[in-house]
Amino acid sequence: MENGIPMKNRIKVYRAMHNLTQEALANAVGVTRQTILAIEKGKYDPSLELAFKIARYFGAPIEEIFLYDEPV
Amino acid sequence: MKRNTFYLLAGIVALAEVGIFWLSVSLENPIPIQVAFVLGVILLYLARRRVEETIEDERTAMITQKAALRTLEVSWVIFFVLSLGSAVIAFSRPLGLRPPRPGPEEVFPTEALELPVFGGFAIFQMTLLCLMIFLYVGFRVYYARKYGEWDTDEEQD
Repeated sequence: MENGIPMKNRIKVYRAMHNLTQEALANAVGVTRQTILAIEKGKYDPSLELAFKIARYFGAPIEEIFLYDEPV
Repeated sequence: MKRNTFYLLAGIVALAEVGIFWLSVSLENPIPIQVAFVLGVILLYLARRRVEETIEDERTAMITQKAALRTLEVSWVIFFVLSLGSAVIAFSRPLGLRPPRPGPEEVFPTEALELPVFGGFAIFQMTLLCLMIFLYVGFRVYYARKYGEWDTDEEQD
């Protein structure tokens, strides 16, 4: 987002799969609910540490949840 | 401590500071407000550490950093311009070693550092400080909006 490279994610999908609210996920990974919302909406790209925390919480590889669309 | 309790405490402290400020003015003594301000900051710092919920994370830290950096970038230009003005005034007077006090009055007026001058300088300092705070708040709001601070969705309370 910051440097214009589109970063997408599937957090919302994984939350739905695990029947999890934003608040619950935020508490689990130690951030505010607004941060989860901002990541889902693509307004904020999480740090590598937070991305790994979220991926491990869902038990999925990081590249399954965070998609990096490298410009051609 | 709950997050809302902390915000309530912060509001109460702010109101108390305003009251103590007026008390200091009426007593003509700056010590109460100076001590109260430092104590208020320490109290809020300690209270924030006792908040159980997450109120700060990497995104809020980034917003704070960006706002602070932009404030600094603007502020140093303003301060430098004002300092340049002061330097011009200073250098407009005769240069060289200061004559022995009291010295000729036209070179270094003896009333230059009297209390009203200090009072004016304090108000000028306070104005600059308020300007910095307004700038910071403005940048904070801008970056908070940019990084989704007030976005809402279906889970919004």
